[in-house]
Amino acid sequence: MAATVAHSQTIPPGLHPLQAAALRSASSGQLQQQPQHPQQRDFDDEPFDVTSRKLSVSDFVRVRTLGTGTFARVCLVRPSHGTEVDRAKVYALKILRKTEVIKLKQIDHVRHERQILADVRGHPFITSFVASFSDHEFLYILLDYVPGGELFTYLRKFRRFDESMARFYAAEIVLILEHLHEQQGGIAYRDMKPENLLLDAEGHIKLVDFGFAKRLGNNESGHPVETYTLCGTPEYLAPEVIHNKGHTTAVDWWALGILIYEFLTGYPPFWHQNPIEIYKQIVEKPIVFPQEPPISDAAKDIIRQFCTVDRSRRLGNVSGGAAKVKAHPFFKGVDWDAVYQKRHRGPIIPPVRYPGDAQCFDLYPEEDANKEEYTNEMADRYDEYFADF
Amino acid sequence: MAGPGFNSPFGANANPFGSSRLETGGMQRVAEEDENDTIGSPTTPHFGLSGGGLFRAPFGGDASFDAGASGVRNPPNPEGYPAQYNFARRTSVSAESLKPAADSDDNWTPPVHPKTPEQLERLKKAISGNFLFSHLDDEQTAQVLGALVEKPIPAAGIKVITQGDAGDFFYVVEKGSFDVYVNSSGALQPGPDGMGEKVSTIEAGGSFGELALMYNAPRAATVVSAEPHCTLWALDRVTFRRILMESTFTRRRMYEGFLEEVPLLSSLTPYERSKIADALESQKFPAGHEIIREGEPGDSFYLLESGEAVAYRSGNDTPVKHYRKGDFFGELALLNDAPRAASVVSQTEVKVARLGKKAFQRLLGPVEGIMRRTQYVGVQTGEAVISQRL
Repeated sequence: MAATVAHSQTIPPGLHPLQAAALRSASSGQLQQQPQHPQQRDFDDEPFDVTSRKLSVSDFVRVRTLGTGTFARVCLVRPSHGTEVDRAKVYALKILRKTEVIKLKQIDHVRHERQILADVRGHPFITSFVASFSDHEFLYILLDYVPGGELFTYLRKFRRFDESMARFYAAEIVLILEHLHEQQGGIAYRDMKPENLLLDAEGHIKLVDFGFAKRLGNNESGHPVETYTLCGTPEYLAPEVIHNKGHTTAVDWWALGILIYEFLTGYPPFWHQNPIEIYKQIVEKPIVFPQEPPISDAAKDIIRQFCTVDRSRRLGNVSGGAAKVKAHPFFKGVDWDAVYQKRHRGPIIPPVRYPGDAQCFDLYPEEDANKEEYTNEMADRYDEYFADF
Repeated sequence: MAGPGFNSPFGANANPFGSSRLETGGMQRVAEEDENDTIGSPTTPHFGLSGGGLFRAPFGGDASFDAGASGVRNPPNPEGYPAQYNFARRTSVSAESLKPAADSDDNWTPPVHPKTPEQLERLKKAISGNFLFSHLDDEQTAQVLGALVEKPIPAAGIKVITQGDAGDFFYVVEKGSFDVYVNSSGALQPGPDGMGEKVSTIEAGGSFGELALMYNAPRAATVVSAEPHCTLWALDRVTFRRILMESTFTRRRMYEGFLEEVPLLSSLTPYERSKIADALESQKFPAGHEIIREGEPGDSFYLLESGEAVAYRSGNDTPVKHYRKGDFFGELALLNDAPRAASVVSQTEVKVARLGKKAFQRLLGPVEGIMRRTQYVGVQTGEAVISQRL
């Protein structure tokens, strides 16, 4: 990404050889593109507080990419200046290319993402928003770095989780959904899946990527109104989204049912090479459980109750809301206060060796495939929509 | 599960490495394994069993060329793992943001392209079995059929859609036939064989490209006219989704407006009314239909969406009440099992929205609880008014 910082620091010890190679090539590539970029700041000893002033991308040094999406990239970064303590900090920087955001008609979504992340800051299981800023070509969202990597990676590695593991993660997710749905107006998250759940150093969940999160009550009256834009991940879409019936926070409970199923079996209940076939199954087929592994009746029941097409019967959406979810036999014995306070360490402790260790994340190409220029005409037309960054 | 005395609700065996090796050597092994195994990630495309399975055809419609893909859907292997599932990271999808006209101040109406009754009949048949259309109500279906636009394809060999390109339209074949080609690279390539292998032919009455009605995904195949003088009907995603959205949005706001007028439900929050609107079922009755019958136990509440109805009590030929659009009846059924106090009969063709007592209770709990929130006085409601008068 051309506009990010030029120079990379020394390669940390113990790095996977591939990671080290990627790092070296990434930093040399950047040097070629941005020879004019200052490599050293004059005020190295001045304290640097990321929350105290408007940031720019030159305040950070890019370590490496942690994940990529269609129009965004998330990088591990360090402050480029400040005291030694400041410079030892690490963050995750989400970098969105304005041209792609516009081309993919995601302007509304990135605005919501920034706003909602700021609004829900502080929840124990949601990634913490630090700041946002922008330059000519990019939008940036600075977040706390969550070093354990994606739950997705662990799930694929272990193939599936046993019920106590699934329960641990599901319980933390229930608290997230409760918190989001009970916000003013109700926030629907709309992209629940193992890929969007990170583990912190103690093995607790951090929900990331609020690119599709939506506050439903954002009209003048402030009361929740169903929303219509189709978004999510094919295997996790709720039937009402596929049928464009207008959807609400109930879609997140559906997706939690799919997620628990995938935790326990290793794959989602509806899948096919052709997404249209997935959608047909979602709207027409009941959930079927495999013979192996054996799944408890309580787990089957909570999955079926979440994955109920009729929203007037769907657990989480019916009377009692999240409280009724918590009281389900699948969660029997769970001390919800202890969950919220993270009194128990997670069933997987990620192999994090030092705070900025990125070995739990897969490697990604450091270069964007698509680098369409953000012209001045585009800036005149669209920059007003990005004013919040 | 937690045994007695064990303070974690998540059980002693929660860690796949065994409990004692948690954060030391055990997990270190996980990291080391990264180097030589093939656990799926976008950067390890050689992962396990993917092969052809990596190709997720974003293409629907007639989909007969999908036979190969569905044929490989093997039963799970002995370890309970489906052999063909693609274990790679899944990409999120999103359509363009859609806002109802009422919210965005533009006066959108669906386009109407006139068709003969025969054409309409054929189109209706062509889309009837398609899951994207089968749940539409009559008005939505009529609007969708009206919006399909004719697209003549004069010559053979014209590419209607191109594999790998952006997709915005769904097509129904009116006349002629079309060949479907798939290049295993995932996109059309230059050169004489660039379209790849021919996988099927779509004849009149068939359709293709339905995924484009959901969101913009690259086309999974190239479709070429196989003969001269073909005709297609085309429907674009934004039109399709707006038709569904506008009618749903309008109906829901209407329901919420109706529900606001029901004294029994006056203490509901807007959010609760919107939830109830979810559970309302639309029903149509011809003139002269007895919607509820005096003396029978009531289990549903009705809102009159269109048409007119009247209430009768036995032994009296004169109607005791008239109902018009926005009126409601039978709401006491939400409260108790008392028999209906009157019969309600449609005078014209009517459309009602029905709310079952059970659905109401599932969503909001017992009505008594709702009523206790405010002082519910003066039963100035549908049948109750009747009983007071008589």
